[in-house]
Amino acid sequence: MSSMPSALSPQPLYACLYRPPSSDAAAGSIITLIAIAQEFSPRYERHRDDLVSVDVSGLTRLLGPARTIGEEMRREAAARGMRANVAVAGTRMATLLLAQARPGLTVIEPGQEAAALAPLSLALLGKLEERKLEERSEKLEGKLQSSDFQLQTSDFILQTSKRWGLKTLGELAALPAADLVSRLGRSARTWQAIARGEDLQPLVPMVEEERFEASLDLEWPIAELEPLSFVLTRLLEPLSTRLERRDRGAAVLHVLLRLVTRETCARRLELPTPMRDVRALRTLALLDLEAHPAEAAIDRVTIVIDPTPGRVVQHTLYTRTQPTPEQLSTLLARLGALMGADRYGVPVSVDTDRPGAFAMAAFATDHEGRNQPSRLRSSETPPSFGEARQSAEGAAAAALSPQPLTISPQPFENAPPLVSALRRCRQPVPARVMVADGRPVRVTTDRRGFTGGAVTRCAGPWRTSGNWWAGEAGQAGQAGRESPVQPPIPPLQPVLPVLPSWDRDEWDVSLGDGAGYRVFRDRATDRWFIDAIVD
Amino acid sequence: MALARADLESLLRARQLDRTLTTALPSIDPRDEHALAPSEISALDARLGGGFPRGQISELIGPRSSGRTSLLLRMMAAATARGELVALVDALDMLDVESAAAAGIDFERLLWIRGHVVTNSGLCRELNQRAIEQAIRAFTLVLQAGNFGLVVFDVAEAPADAVRRLPFTTWLRLQRMVEGSQTACVLVGGEAMARSSAGLTLQLGLGVRSSGLGAQGLGPRAQGSELRFSERLFDGIDVHARIVRARAREQEDACVALSTSA
Repeated sequence: MSSMPSALSPQPLYACLYRPPSSDAAAGSIITLIAIAQEFSPRYERHRDDLVSVDVSGLTRLLGPARTIGEEMRREAAARGMRANVAVAGTRMATLLLAQARPGLTVIEPGQEAAALAPLSLALLGKLEERKLEERSEKLEGKLQSSDFQLQTSDFILQTSKRWGLKTLGELAALPAADLVSRLGRSARTWQAIARGEDLQPLVPMVEEERFEASLDLEWPIAELEPLSFVLTRLLEPLSTRLERRDRGAAVLHVLLRLVTRETCARRLELPTPMRDVRALRTLALLDLEAHPAEAAIDRVTIVIDPTPGRVVQHTLYTRTQPTPEQLSTLLARLGALMGADRYGVPVSVDTDRPGAFAMAAFATDHEGRNQPSRLRSSETPPSFGEARQSAEGAAAAALSPQPLTISPQPFENAPPLVSALRRCRQPVPARVMVADGRPVRVTTDRRGFTGGAVTRCAGPWRTSGNWWAGEAGQAGQAGRESPVQPPIPPLQPVLPVLPSWDRDEWDVSLGDGAGYRVFRDRATDRWFIDAIVD
Repeated sequence: MALARADLESLLRARQLDRTLTTALPSIDPRDEHALAPSEISALDARLGGGFPRGQISELIGPRSSGRTSLLLRMMAAATARGELVALVDALDMLDVESAAAAGIDFERLLWIRGHVVTNSGLCRELNQRAIEQAIRAFTLVLQAGNFGLVVFDVAEAPADAVRRLPFTTWLRLQRMVEGSQTACVLVGGEAMARSSAGLTLQLGLGVRSSGLGAQGLGPRAQGSELRFSERLFDGIDVHARIVRARAREQEDACVALSTSA
């Protein structure tokens, strides 16, 4: 079957714009080059900041022959204050080489590309290779080993060609392909094709990122959130549809409110995952505006969305359904509005011996891609609060104490034992402790809910201290265990702030009413506190 | 004129209060592994018919130092180990992170919501009441979000009167929200809260660990008040768990003896 008739498919014709190096750096930029290309065709590709190729196929019917197109391009560049080399040919590769090699306008009749390139220097291939390497480096994101290999290959071919006495592209193109490959490898065929001006890949047109923006002028100013929610829905719905068509999600949601005072209230919401659900976006925007209300009535609402590639999730039948990122994002925003930004998140253990120390981190909203869960294994669980003391006590003490460290009966072969837990008093409760023979015998406190009483059994003392370099001792009763000033939702690992020192003797006590407590004596002030409840 | 039981039930259904009926909660198929949230404590799970029911409110109640927190952390660890998301509404902000880590909880799957309860409110006791109501609202938000495997509301150390002052309809509403979902909802307190809305109530008390009795054979009378201590160490707690309400189960009033280690 024959190919499509030439009358219906226009002869391929490409043009290339090259801005030669100039002492005047401001003489032109890639934006100008792209603007020139856009004047002639929507199909253009940016190769470098100074090199753009354009598909001008079919323009001959509008502007005239290839030379006229080239002249129009140069005229357009001159009108924009730029001196540019223009090449027009039947292959894109030929125009790329010719535009860099020859000043002014170069027009090659289709089919004559190889002949036109033949006298050009082999060094031109090096320039192309630089660009290819840049592209590969961007794609590989730093996988330098592969790029280094490619660089060695091109260098090797170019240097070998020079050693053979080759100086021009025509000489390289004229060599027998089979012999060339046998000596230089497969990549030699690619270089030979380039030397002939053959296209290795089709033009990949640049698509300008679509702007997702919608505005609404209000006839009557809005001062409350409830009517604003309807406006937001009306603006977000078409934006969401456009995002869906483009397979995009919102990465950042900008809400711009023009007030009746002619001021603008701008809010910026960085979304944890790409989303385009209207209800979720509207709820997040409203919650944010509830926390940061506008100072006056609103007479114009503008929504701008920074798009990002959509999220692709493959669900399975065998794993439990997790809340979607939209659900979790909305939940976290609601919790933030209700409880405060620092009152929810993920607990994080911190590297310190301070009793009860912890930090908070952000709760991830996307759990789909996380590792599969593993069953409980005793070897993976961190030591309980008693194990550290157990090790400190030493082997002899461990031998003295019978350790029925199992649930009865054993639930699973590898399940860890049920460990005793504490309930921390974030602010230690001041207590009165009677001591006899160096051991607490009675604990009382004025705090409601703590009855106190005689100590029936106790273990201790366990002396801990730390941060002696940070400041005054004796603030153990006042110092919260966590960071006193926490970042709202830290995106990275939290940083333990500098906390005051502590120096204490701890006791685990059991009182007559059956309750167990961890109490401590602050050694600097000789005051007693209830630190935690054993539960 | 005395109303017949059928009349009362029809009246309750008419007012959409039929969940207060003892037979209203749907039965749980013990073969359906997704209907239960095991605690990974075989003795307890065996008595519970496989674990804590999903789609129902369960209660974990008991006095101070009765092992509520130890059992709760184990349940949370088991849930995160299964890959479920867990939310803890900690109304009094008393979670000990070290204990949670020792229990094996995967923190990445734990959403910890910390309440604002004032520990020494003095004359401003309304503050705590408002804080508990705020925690209830946070609890509601989490249940509304859905798809959490385990959601816990912890008011174990809250003043009993503050919890009692919560409207009874709160628990009915929560039961409605969680019903039919895959979420196991657990309330932790000093005493029963949800009353007729609760599907399962597990009463914890201190028990004497006896080598002569089988671990599951301890009766409710075998109660003591001692934590275990060795020579110089606190060893753990002997916990006595009693199932006082299991509306979706045949077995009620069963007891389990557990012991924790330090």
